[in-house]
Amino acid sequence: MALPLQISDLEVRAGARTLLKVADLSAPAGALIGIRGPSGAGKSTFLHALSGLIEARGRLCWGEVDLIRLRPEGRTAFRAKNMGLIFQDFLLFDELSPQANAGLAGLFRVRHDRPPISARAAEALARLGVPEGRRTVGSFSGGERQRVAIARAMATDPGLLLADEPTASLDRRAADTLIDDLTSLVRASGKTLIAVSHDPHLLDRLDRILTIEDGRVTGDTGAQAA
Amino acid sequence: MREIWDGLPVLAQDLMSAGALLLPLLVVGGVLLRGFRPWSLIRALMWRFRWANLLFVLLIAVSTGMGIGLIAQERGLRTGSAQAAEKFDLVVTAPGSELTMMLAAVFLQPSAVPLLDGAAYDRIANHPQVQIAAPVAFGDSHDGAPVVGTIADFVTYLSDGEIEGRIFTRSGEAVAGAAIDLQIGDRFTPAHGRGGGADAEAHDGVQIEIVGRMARSGSPWDRAILIPIETVWEVHGLANGHPFEEGDRIGPPFAPDLFPGTPAVIVHADELWANYALRSEFTEAGETMAFFPGTVLADLYRVMGDVRQAMSVMSVVTQVLVAASVLLGLFILTRLFQRQLAMLRALGAPRRFVMAVVWGYGVSLLLAGTVLGLAFGYAAVLVLSRIVTERTDILVTASISWAEVTLALGFLSAMSLLSLVPALVVLTRPVVENLRQ
Ligand SMILES: Nc1ncnc2c1ncn2[C@@H]1O[C@H](COP(=O)(O)OP(=O)(O)OP(=O)(O)O)[C@@H](O)[C@H]1O
Ligand SMILES: [Mg+2]
Repeated sequence: MALPLQISDLEVRAGARTLLKVADLSAPAGALIGIRGPSGAGKSTFLHALSGLIEARGRLCWGEVDLIRLRPEGRTAFRAKNMGLIFQDFLLFDELSPQANAGLAGLFRVRHDRPPISARAAEALARLGVPEGRRTVGSFSGGERQRVAIARAMATDPGLLLADEPTASLDRRAADTLIDDLTSLVRASGKTLIAVSHDPHLLDRLDRILTIEDGRVTGDTGAQAA
Repeated sequence: MREIWDGLPVLAQDLMSAGALLLPLLVVGGVLLRGFRPWSLIRALMWRFRWANLLFVLLIAVSTGMGIGLIAQERGLRTGSAQAAEKFDLVVTAPGSELTMMLAAVFLQPSAVPLLDGAAYDRIANHPQVQIAAPVAFGDSHDGAPVVGTIADFVTYLSDGEIEGRIFTRSGEAVAGAAIDLQIGDRFTPAHGRGGGADAEAHDGVQIEIVGRMARSGSPWDRAILIPIETVWEVHGLANGHPFEEGDRIGPPFAPDLFPGTPAVIVHADELWANYALRSEFTEAGETMAFFPGTVLADLYRVMGDVRQAMSVMSVVTQVLVAASVLLGLFILTRLFQRQLAMLRALGAPRRFVMAVVWGYGVSLLLAGTVLGLAFGYAAVLVLSRIVTERTDILVTASISWAEVTLALGFLSAMSLLSLVPALVVLTRPVVENLRQ
């Protein structure tokens, strides 16, 4: 189930330095949000805060749950249940098949979660047109790998997908087809997508674009719409 | 408690102590792996670093195998030599080094030893408690095998009566040990001396016929050819222990003044307790020396015990070094795998799962190495035993005992606990830091 986002006075620090400061931000469930900005601006840091991977201050609520109030293991469990993560360089296990990669979460989930995860992984792989079979992903192209990674993120049926530069490792054509597939899949399932990207083709397909510069949100195409 | 334990069968005790040793491994494994399925990821790790993994497994296997092999081989040699000396209750020789005399008389190692005269032999042979007093005379050989002169009773005693063919009944006949490549009816001419310096022509014209073959005893006597001691004396041109009127008779009693001498007398008493009395009786200053080969061997083992201890310390040190390098390797390899592990955490895998993967990977390597090491050790013992048996004719049986298995399991268990360290270290670095790089 997708969850609405509510942020106030979010602050991420590293020692004396403030990496990110977001005074106020909210987004409804099912929104497709892009984040852009220069290198080193704090985009990844923002994504990490949204997924509860780093310590932050303030309030960061997904639905009723304030991630910042949760203990680390509680955040891990929240991520497992509600979030799918997609990385620039895919981070797959080259030695495993696409199905095994996509169904990875089944390895650490309780027994009765496994069959649905595995079924959804297979379904997502099929919808994304990933070559079937027992071939390991080590021999896959970048586009095919990122599809496997997307299937992995979808397999647990999370409400939120967080992607960090999902097309940056792909050539133009592969990126474009991936963008089509990703956005239509996300829209069809009603999930929230937050994608950090420099890729205008991807950003064009999203509902709302945030610009982050020097650790602050300096632009928001959804601000006037809201 | 103690009594219950002592009352258990040995196998049950062994199994239980092995179980106790493995307990830490089983507990850690149970706690870490419960509810998870890390095996496909462990297999992926195995495959990704296959050459390094192979190296680790071999390293563990070789060091474990060497430790096990050394201990088992040493024990095999000890029991084998004790068994080879079993029939030799008491040995009487001229005074000298007990060890030299034992090696010559019991293990048939070539050496020049002084002789006992007829009077000395007579005193021993006529002692009421002595059942067998066998003179043994060596110095000749055939094809490298010692030709030993003795009496028929001793041959029967030595082989427990298990002789194919028959015992020698007159001078010029011989009974061959089981390892001798001569058949009944074959004839040979003994060479004078043994080894490289043996003189094949010295006894030209002498023909000795094999009339019997002894069953295998697992001692150097398997490679000996036993002939009447009279024959030994005769081919050396000496008196043969009997006056002319006795004709062809062989065996005791011998006439003391016609007895040319014997390097050693093997004594067997009817009663075990008599041996102690006999030993002190036959130990006469300047005349004779009596000793128990079993005691001499025990002394030898005691001296060797220090060497053994040094050996076990060395093998433990080797094990520790191997363990350290394997641990270091695990650190390095998990470092290389750190992004994937961080990704697992980012995907919502609990810490315990990541630990299960890293630990399971380490323990799989250790387990493979240990099992292979046991196999290596067994193979090493097999080969070494064969070599030792071939060289010395002391039957060394290859066996891996519980002591070695316990050692290997202890190593495995301790290492499996240490493998928690790389698993824990992986978790100390923040997930995001590992994701970046
Ligand atoms: N643990 C940390 N300690 C200190 N500085 C950090 C830490 N983590 C990140 N930073 C700094 O914070 C800034 C923002 O980093 P971040 O990775 O979020 O940038 P980004 O917007 O994703 O850039 P890019 O487009 O290059 O990926 C960078 O200057 C980075 O060096
Ligand atoms: Mg970034």
